[in-house]
Amino acid sequence: METTTDEEREAKIVELEAAAASEIEYVSYGGEHHLPLIMNLVDQELSEPYSIFTYRYFVYLWPQLSFLAFHKGKCVGTVVCKMGEHRNTFRGYIAMLVVLKPYRGRGIATELVTRSIKVMMESGCEEVTLEAEVTNKGALALYGRLGFIRAKRLFRYYLNGVDAFRLKLLFPRPELHSPQLTRATGDESGWHKDSRQTEENPFLL
Amino acid sequence: MAEKVGVEGDRDVKVPNLNPSSITSGEQTVWADVSPLLESACKDLQDGELVHGENFNLFAAMSALEIMDPKMDSGIVCRYYSVDEAIENGAAPVPLSFDKTIDVQCTIDIMDHLLACEATWHKGHSLAQTVYSCIYLQRPDRTSSHALLHSYCRVIRATCNSVVSVVSETRTHEEEDLFTMAYGLPLKGDGDEKNLSMLHAVEETISRQLRACKAPSSKKRLVEDVEPLQTNLDLEEGYCKSLLCRLRFRKHFYHVLTCMRRPQGRGLELARKHIASCLLELDSILKSAEFLGSNNACETSLDGIEGRTTASGRQPIGFDSTLNNRLAAPTPPRAIKILSWKKAVEYFQKLLHDLDIICSYSLDPLFEGVLRFVVEFQKFQPDLVARAHLQLLLLQEGKLYGRDPVFAMICKAAVLPEVTKSHDIQKNESVVQLVQLVISLLRILCTNAAWQRRKLGKIVQDWRVIYLQLELAFRKEFGEISSTSIDENVCIKISKHILNWVEEQTYWIASRFLMLGFELELYSPCEYCMVYWYIYVVLIKLAEKTHLKMLTSNEIAKRKGKKKRESLKDAARDYQIPPVVLLLQCQIYLAEGLTMMLAALRNEHKVFQSLGPFNTEHERFIQHFEFLQRACIPDHVSYLSFKESTNHARLSTIVVYNCFKDAQRIAKELRSSFSNDRDRMVELRQIEQVAEHNGVALNLVCRLGTLDPSLKVYFEFSHHPYFATAVVKRS
Ligand SMILES: CC(C)(COP(=O)(O)OP(=O)(O)OC[C@H]1O[C@@H](n2cnc3c(N)ncnc32)[C@H](O)[C@@H]1OP(=O)(O)O)[C@@H](O)C(=O)NCCC(=O)NCCS
Repeated sequence: METTTDEEREAKIVELEAAAASEIEYVSYGGEHHLPLIMNLVDQELSEPYSIFTYRYFVYLWPQLSFLAFHKGKCVGTVVCKMGEHRNTFRGYIAMLVVLKPYRGRGIATELVTRSIKVMMESGCEEVTLEAEVTNKGALALYGRLGFIRAKRLFRYYLNGVDAFRLKLLFPRPELHSPQLTRATGDESGWHKDSRQTEENPFLL
Repeated sequence: MAEKVGVEGDRDVKVPNLNPSSITSGEQTVWADVSPLLESACKDLQDGELVHGENFNLFAAMSALEIMDPKMDSGIVCRYYSVDEAIENGAAPVPLSFDKTIDVQCTIDIMDHLLACEATWHKGHSLAQTVYSCIYLQRPDRTSSHALLHSYCRVIRATCNSVVSVVSETRTHEEEDLFTMAYGLPLKGDGDEKNLSMLHAVEETISRQLRACKAPSSKKRLVEDVEPLQTNLDLEEGYCKSLLCRLRFRKHFYHVLTCMRRPQGRGLELARKHIASCLLELDSILKSAEFLGSNNACETSLDGIEGRTTASGRQPIGFDSTLNNRLAAPTPPRAIKILSWKKAVEYFQKLLHDLDIICSYSLDPLFEGVLRFVVEFQKFQPDLVARAHLQLLLLQEGKLYGRDPVFAMICKAAVLPEVTKSHDIQKNESVVQLVQLVISLLRILCTNAAWQRRKLGKIVQDWRVIYLQLELAFRKEFGEISSTSIDENVCIKISKHILNWVEEQTYWIASRFLMLGFELELYSPCEYCMVYWYIYVVLIKLAEKTHLKMLTSNEIAKRKGKKKRESLKDAARDYQIPPVVLLLQCQIYLAEGLTMMLAALRNEHKVFQSLGPFNTEHERFIQHFEFLQRACIPDHVSYLSFKESTNHARLSTIVVYNCFKDAQRIAKELRSSFSNDRDRMVELRQIEQVAEHNGVALNLVCRLGTLDPSLKVYFEFSHHPYFATAVVKRS
C-alpha cells in the first residue's frame, strides 16, 4: 500500500473537488420524478436486485438523506440512506451509492456521501454504518478516507458468496464515557442476507 | 396464478384488510384468489400511489414480492410444477436408457454431478438447491430396479444425513444457517442403513465384470458366466474402472464419517485409513476423466471445460434445481452456480486432508494443547464440515473428548493441587459457570474466523465477569473456612490459581480477538499503530499471568524434587524464564517495535495518519477496542495511554533501543527449546524474519528518511500472518 502523505492527499481532494464542483450539480431528492433516475443507476451498478418498494421506503421516509449528482442535465451519481433508532443508538445507514463509470474518480461519490453524512450528523446520529463487499476496493478506500473503520467481517454475506465488511463511522461525542463493564451491543443486522428479523432488512419476509 | 399464490405459503402478497391486527398469516387466515382484487387495484392506483394501512407502511411494502418476477417470486413455475410432474414428463427415467452403454454413461454423469452438488452444499448453499435437485433422490423407491443408481443414491442420502446430524449437533452451523435446512426433503429412505451392504454387492459385481473383461482370451471361458456391464466390449474396462472408483470413494467416505463419530475418538485411527483410501479413489476418479471425456463425441457442455460438472462434460439427466425453490430458504430464489466437477474433487481432497489432521491429533489432555491445536488447525481455513467434526471430537457430552470432565481439565491447566478435583468447590455456582464458559470458548474456536472474532469479542467480557464473580465467591466461601479450618492454605491456593488462570485465558482470548482482525483484514494501515500497541499491552499481561502460573507449577515440582534431593542445577533452572514465556516475549518485542516504528513515521514523516472530515483517531480507537475497553482489558488502558506512549516516538531513539534486535536474538536462542515442536519452530522462524527485515528497514528509514523524500514505507504480511514486514521503496 502506497502512502502518499496526508497533505498531498488533502491537496488532491481540494483540486478534484474544485474541478468537479464546476460542472457537477448536486441535488437533494426532490420527488417521484427522481425515482426512475435513481433506480436506473443502481440497477446498472449494484448486484442486488431491489424492488421499487425498496427505493420508495428510503426516499419517502428520508428524502433529506438522498442526493443526486447531475452533469449537464444527466444524472451520473446517487446516494440513498436512512436513519433511525437501532439498539439504543441513533444511527445513519448508507443503503446505496453509485457513480456512473465514466464519471468515477472525480470525487463525486465523496461529495454525495459527505452531504448525506453531514445531514445525519446534524440530525443527531451517533454513528453511520453500511456494508461493502470485501472485494470492492474503490468503495472501501473511499469510506476509509472518510473515517469509517471495518468493524466486522460478515461471512458470505452476499448471495454471490462474497464476504462483506460492516463499515462504521463514529461521530465524536462531547463526553467520552468511561469504560464500564457492560455487554457491548453487538449487532449482526444488515439487510442483504442475514438477520431476517431485523428492522433494516427490506427483504423481510 | 391464484393457486400458485396459495402454494407460496405465508410469505408473499399481503392483503391488509383481511386481518387488520396483523399481516402475518395464522390459523384464521383464509387463502383467497387475489387476481381480481389486484386487477381492480391496478386500475385504482395511479403512478406513485401506495396503499397505506396501520399495519402496512413503507417498510412493510418492501417485503412485497413482485409476482412473476423471477428474481423474487419463488413460487414461479419454472419448468415443472412438482417432482411428480417432472417424472411424468420423463425428466428422470429408470433405466436412464435401454441402451446399456448409454445407461452406464448417464449413471456416471449423475454420480459426478451429485459430487459437484454435494461440494456446493458444503460450501454454503442449501441442500434443496444442490444435492436434492436430483429427482432420483426425491423418490427413493423409483430407482430400486436399477441397482447401481439405487445403491449410489442411498449412500448419498445416508452421507448427507450423517453430515447434517454432526453439523446440527455441534451447532457450528449457526454461522452458516442454510446448511442444515432440510425441511421437506427425503433425507432418510427406507433401508438406508443397509446402504453399505448394497453398495458392496454392486461393487462386487462390477469387480467381477472388470476381471472378466481383462482376462486373457484363453481364460475367458472360466469367467464366461459373468454378464458384462454394458454392450460395447472395447469400453468395458474403462467403464468398470470409472464406476468402481466412484463407488469405492462413497463407501470409504461414509466409513470416514461413521468412524469419526465414534465416542472418545476411538474411531480416528481407522478413519485415517479410510481417508487414505478416499484420496486414492479420488485420484482414480480424476484420471477417469480422460476416458470418459473421449467417449463424449456427441455434445459438450455449454459451460466450457472449466465449468462442467461431470467428468465426461455432458449435462446430467435427472436434475432440476428449480423444483425445490419453494423449499430453498426464506429468501428470494436465486439461481445458484454449482461448483465444477474439478473444483468439487479439489474440495473433497481438501476436506479429507483437514479431517486427516483432526484424526491424527493426539487428544492432548492439556488445555493449552487443545487451544494451540485448534488455532493451528484453523490456519488451514477448514470449511464447515471439517470444523464441525473437530468440535464433535473436542466436546462430547460436555466432556473433553467425551472423556475428561472439564473441571478436571481446568484443575490441571490451572496447576491446582490434586485435592481440588474432588473438592466441593466445583459445586459452586460460579465454578459451574466457568466450566460452561470453557465449553463455549472451545465451541467458538471451531467456528469460521469472521464469526469467531465476533463471538470472542463478546465472550471475553463474560470471562471478565466470571473473574469478578469467582473472586467474590472465593472470598465468601473461604473467608468462612479460614478462621477455623486447617484447609486454609489449600483454599487460598485454589482460589489464587484459578483466578490467575482465568485472567490468563481472558488475555489469551483478547489477543486472539486482536490478531484475527489481521486475518479478516479489518485494520487499515493507519490503524496498525494502535492495534500493535493494544496487542503489546495485552501480550504483556498474558506473559505475566502465564509466567506466574509456571512459577507455581515449578514450585510444586521443586517441592517434589527436594524430597528426591535434586541437585543445585535445578535450582538454577527455576530462575530461568520458561520458553513459552520467552516466545511471548518475542512477540511483545515485535508488537512494540512495530508500534514505535509506525508512531515515529507518523510523528516525523506525516504518514499513516488517520485524518477524516468527521472524526478523529480517538473514535477509531473506541470502535476497534470497544469490547476490550468495556471489560477493562487490560485495566487502566485507554486512548490517552496510547497517545502518551507513542506521541514522542522518534526514529533516532527507537533505532538505538531496537526491539526487533531483541526479538530476533531471543527467537534464535529459543530454537533449541522447541526443536521437537514443528508449529513453534515455524512461528520462531517467522518472528526472526519479520524482526530481521524490520530492523533493516528501520535503519534505512532512519539514515535516509529525511534526506530522501521519495522514500516510501509500506507494510506487508509476507512473513507472518499478524506481524507486518516493513518494505522501503523509492517511488
Ligand atoms: C464506489 C464508487 C461509488 C466511487 O465513486 P467515485 O465517484 O469514483 O468516487 P470518488 O471519486 O469520490 O473517490 C474518492 C476516493 O475513493 C477511492 N476510490 C474510488 N474508486 C476507487 C478505485 N476504483 N480504486 C481505488 N480507490 C478508489 C480513492 O481513494 C478516491 O480518491 P482519489 O481519487 O483521490 O484516490 C463507484 O466506484 C461506484 O459507483 N461503484 C459501483 C457501485 C458501488 O460499488 N457502490 C458502493 C457500494 S457500498
